[in-house]
Amino acid sequence: MLLPLLVASLLLQDSTRPAPNARVTASEPRTIALDEVLAEKAGLHIGDRVVVASRPNEPGDTVIVAAIVRRSTDPSEVAREDLRVRMHLDQLQTLANYGDRVDRFAIATKAGADIPKLIGRINDVAFGFRAYRSTDIAIETSRTFQVVSRFHRAIGIITIVASSVFLLCIMVLKVEERRRDIAALRLMGISRSTVVRAIIVEAALIAVLGSGLGIFLGWLVSLFVNWHYQALYRTPLAFSIVTPPIIAVAVLLSLVLGIAAGIGASLRLVRQPPLALFGR
Amino acid sequence: MLAIVGVAVAAAMLLDMVMLATGMRQSFRELLLTRGFQIRLAPKGTLPFDTDATIPDVASVTATLRQNPDIGEISPVLGGSIHIPIGDRDVSASVLGIDPSVQGDYELLSGRDLRAGDDVVVNDRLLAALGKRIGDTISVATGYDPQTRSYSAQRNFTITGTVRFLYGAADQSSAAMRRETLKQLNASSPTRAGDRASLFMIRVRQGGDVENARRWIESRIPIVSALSIATAIAQVDQRLAYFRQLAVILGTVSLFVGFLLVTTLVTVSVNERSGEISVMRAIGVSRTHIVEQVVLEGVVISLIGAAVGLAIGLVTARYLNSILSAFPGLPMAIDFFLFQPIAAWSALGLLTFSGIVAGIYPAYRAASLPIAETLRREAIA
Repeated sequence: MLLPLLVASLLLQDSTRPAPNARVTASEPRTIALDEVLAEKAGLHIGDRVVVASRPNEPGDTVIVAAIVRRSTDPSEVAREDLRVRMHLDQLQTLANYGDRVDRFAIATKAGADIPKLIGRINDVAFGFRAYRSTDIAIETSRTFQVVSRFHRAIGIITIVASSVFLLCIMVLKVEERRRDIAALRLMGISRSTVVRAIIVEAALIAVLGSGLGIFLGWLVSLFVNWHYQALYRTPLAFSIVTPPIIAVAVLLSLVLGIAAGIGASLRLVRQPPLALFGR
Repeated sequence: MLAIVGVAVAAAMLLDMVMLATGMRQSFRELLLTRGFQIRLAPKGTLPFDTDATIPDVASVTATLRQNPDIGEISPVLGGSIHIPIGDRDVSASVLGIDPSVQGDYELLSGRDLRAGDDVVVNDRLLAALGKRIGDTISVATGYDPQTRSYSAQRNFTITGTVRFLYGAADQSSAAMRRETLKQLNASSPTRAGDRASLFMIRVRQGGDVENARRWIESRIPIVSALSIATAIAQVDQRLAYFRQLAVILGTVSLFVGFLLVTTLVTVSVNERSGEISVMRAIGVSRTHIVEQVVLEGVVISLIGAAVGLAIGLVTARYLNSILSAFPGLPMAIDFFLFQPIAAWSALGLLTFSGIVAGIYPAYRAASLPIAETLRREAIA
């Protein structure tokens, strides 16, 4: 399947106030489709007549709004507020004074087609254009996302470092708070290793419970982030996803940090004489 | 020590986020005002150089602009692309057609500025790609037709100097020539022929009202969008809202983490010293003094953490800025993380405030300890 495409800037004008010399064809005006955002902003509805022109103060064509469409979810267009009209190719070529030209062809191949071979054949016979795989174009045009992705990764690492230090602090302080309990256990004759094990188990339990609560909070925040940005950018794209690997990393990290803090703090405490832990 | 490191990391993150939230706008503003042009005119409904659209009839637009006494300098700029055949290869670059006497697009680094029609200035990247030097002659072509694989115009130019394009991206090879010359090269192009400009940069005279001038232009020249610094910043703000919001969210989280850490530290400290505090209360030290001491402890932890965090924050900001500077098409001069003293003071102020607030609860607990009961418990323990 071949899909020729031409992109041009257009001006829309309410046909109740037609542009001077607007072309009105004898036959029924042709149809266009509007993005829902454009339709909402311009207050246009299906059946409305508008004049489209490629430049201000130029005669345009009177057309009928036949459809209001929702754009596909393209992340590269999220922050842009481009308003789009879809119209018949030949009409746009005439309006934009573009001749019988298009910006690009999109080609759908049949199932099982050898795409590299096909591209090679097109390029061998091409005169004035070149064929690319859609994935190669996607890679080339996704540089912005690569940058954003690297930025997110860097922010993520900094956040993990900050969270780790915070978790370690909290765990060490919590163990320190138990110095009298530890002193009592030691005075009762419970061995150092048993005390250390007990503290480690307790720290691990706290870490697992904390990470469970954290995952729930993260999930709630993720829902809020998606709700906010989907409404802001009018897109169904997901901005934040809580995936099983993320959950696994969060639980594992908090478990490791909790156990490390438990070991460090408990070893420090059990090495001290019990009476010193009492402050005597 | 670990707690100070924790507060420092939270402070570093907070500083970075304050820098991110305020830096982009300030950096963009400074960039736009580099040469003192306060208004830009772009084809109606577009941002400067956002599309290939151009403004027709430059002479007529300029004459209209001259009618406004507030308007000082007018600098029309025509953008395009050029091809420079070197041996069997072809180097492509973006080109600006400007009037050298009023241009605000580049600063000269070496050599001399444009004088004659066949002069061209290039940036270092293009000069390196060409393998040429100042004084060399190059053949510049425009209007590549893929159907016939030929150019619509070709002409020899002398490289007279190297320049730094103020709004150019780091990975962009660029050149500039007189607008009249570029106009001649475009003469046979079906879409770019004629007296056109991609952009007008306008300097309002001292004492003139920029916003009034902008409104006047839009009312008198309906084919253009007039953008003042404020409107341009608003447009950029809209496109980069994500980063600002991310900065606000992460900044708030950092502040909250710092707050929790200080609260926990001071609370543990108060619990450990409950006996001392009760003795102080018993010998007549006032509640106010106890509160002051505990709150001061929180503030001191916050301040030490903030001081260490400032250094860490500057290093991480530099690293994060280097990542975001790789955005395709982003002007080199734009910084996402711009250090401004006000950013450091804001972060420090927020942390100090959070330190004070963090100390309030443990201070309240310390001040309301039952003296006799606490002393008895300490004695038994």
